[in-house]
Amino acid sequence: MSAGNLATAGLTKAFGGVRAVDDATVEFHDGKINAVIGPNGSGKTTFFNCVTGMIRPDSGTVTYGGRDVTGRAPHRIAAAGIGRSFQLCRIFPRMTVRENVLAAVRPRGMAGLLRSAHDAGDVERARGWLRRVGIDHLEDVEARNLSYGQQKLLELAGVLMAEPETIMLDEPAGGVNPALIDRIAALVRELNAEGRTFIVVEHNMELVMSLSDHVVVFDRGRPIAEGPPDTVRADPAVLEAYLGV
Amino acid sequence: MRNVFEGRASSWVALLVGAAALLSFPIWSPNPYITSAGVVVLSYAVLSTSWNFVGGFTGYMSLGHAAWFGLGAYGTGLLIARAGVPAFLALGLAGVIVAVLAVPIGIAALRVRGASFVIVSIALVLVLLLVFQSWRDFTGGSEGLVVPRPFPDLSRPEHHVVFFYLFAVLLGLALLAWWTIDRSRFGLGLKAIREDEDKAQSLGVPTFAYKLVAFVVSATFTALGGGLYALWFGDLDPIFQFSILIGSYMVLMALLGGVRHLFGPVLGALVVGVAIEYFKVSYGDTQFHLVATGLLLAVVVLFMPDGVIPAVQGLLARFRPQQSSIREVSAAELKEEVKL
Repeated sequence: MSAGNLATAGLTKAFGGVRAVDDATVEFHDGKINAVIGPNGSGKTTFFNCVTGMIRPDSGTVTYGGRDVTGRAPHRIAAAGIGRSFQLCRIFPRMTVRENVLAAVRPRGMAGLLRSAHDAGDVERARGWLRRVGIDHLEDVEARNLSYGQQKLLELAGVLMAEPETIMLDEPAGGVNPALIDRIAALVRELNAEGRTFIVVEHNMELVMSLSDHVVVFDRGRPIAEGPPDTVRADPAVLEAYLGV
Repeated sequence: MRNVFEGRASSWVALLVGAAALLSFPIWSPNPYITSAGVVVLSYAVLSTSWNFVGGFTGYMSLGHAAWFGLGAYGTGLLIARAGVPAFLALGLAGVIVAVLAVPIGIAALRVRGASFVIVSIALVLVLLLVFQSWRDFTGGSEGLVVPRPFPDLSRPEHHVVFFYLFAVLLGLALLAWWTIDRSRFGLGLKAIREDEDKAQSLGVPTFAYKLVAFVVSATFTALGGGLYALWFGDLDPIFQFSILIGSYMVLMALLGGVRHLFGPVLGALVVGVAIEYFKVSYGDTQFHLVATGLLLAVVVLFMPDGVIPAVQGLLARFRPQQSSIREVSAAELKEEVKL
């Protein structure tokens, strides 16, 4: 595993006159837990959306595994091996928990498409991930009836079902209770130990500092500092961005 | 497990009874007029089931599905009247032509979502209405197009009976296709699009291709329904074939029965179709049947937003002894949460 598997160069995206992401050049560390932090409105989520194809950047490139994937459709980015969660947790509310996870199965060919959605092998794999995140007892429940924390776990199970090598989480700890934050952090560590690269946007500094190997700090659309948590924490530019001028 | 099996057996019985009642209709129908009304209702069932490939799976509400109905009807009629193609070959060819046409139209229309898609679908049917009205030399314009009857030797009542069964076959095929997709991985992907399109795509579902396939299948079945209608009715007029009203009926029927259920559109077509035919007889030329249809839609949206089938299922579930209620499940979850 080499460094810079997922990297951006000069990535820029403007909305009207505001440059939400402004000439961002970032290299994420492979096989590590990377964190992206920054004040509100510093462009973290827009950066995520540009990388995962939800938004087409105005200029700059995104490369993954040495290939240019800039502006590719989200399902192609997903197929390339990048999974993601969303800021306010997005699930399929009127589908069961099991179906939510099965929706991430990628069928091949006509026969694969028309095979039962509840194919025994797929269901077994889905159940495995649900067990892993701890909500397998709810697999027949409609997803909208889950608590917010359970929905977050469900979203993670769905992302994992697609077997991504790189997982981008947008505020995994947002709006969940402290016990669940610990559980999500433990899961991220386990999955990272199995070889998955993580890129996590997070506001909870305690979590960022304890979880991540490498921190990238965004301010006004571009990275202003990066390095191990301790180094970044002491960086004057970071303190200024957070505490104001 | 036993319960599931019993549930399956009873739904098979219900299916067989329903199919037998439907298929024996021409036998117990009191007169040819009623039989012809039965053909109309059955054609509605075909159309709303066809609409449901897009509306039910992907949640894209097309109000302009009459475009496919009209194209299928005129395609069939013109191939017979202008090119002398045998009737049922013309029907099949019209289906193929519409399937091919639906690809570029789908690529254009499916770029927009929600209300914008509804507007685009309405625009499509209005454009086609103008084209078929104006292009007199070819389509016959507002004077109409007479489609030669495929079975000239049959009497009028026999003609109705034959077409009742032809529509029943087409309905069977449409239901079989919907059922196949419903249980498939492809179908699950379509439903994910209905729930949250961007999320589905981020999980790897090639959303555009999926939507397009559903769109083409839907258009093709609707066109076959239109073609069969042309062969049965024998007289086409753009104002009736490319009408917003027919498109709205398809939506109303599917919503009324329940878009998430295989037989929802059929049930909706039975209720609305019978009501429309009844109101037409009772109120003749007045437009009261439109008012009544509008009221029906309002009642459904207000009281049964998921349609009749889920509403009835919910009602039945209330009277059944309950094994585990939602409440118990959430109590168990609460304990789980406390443990965390």
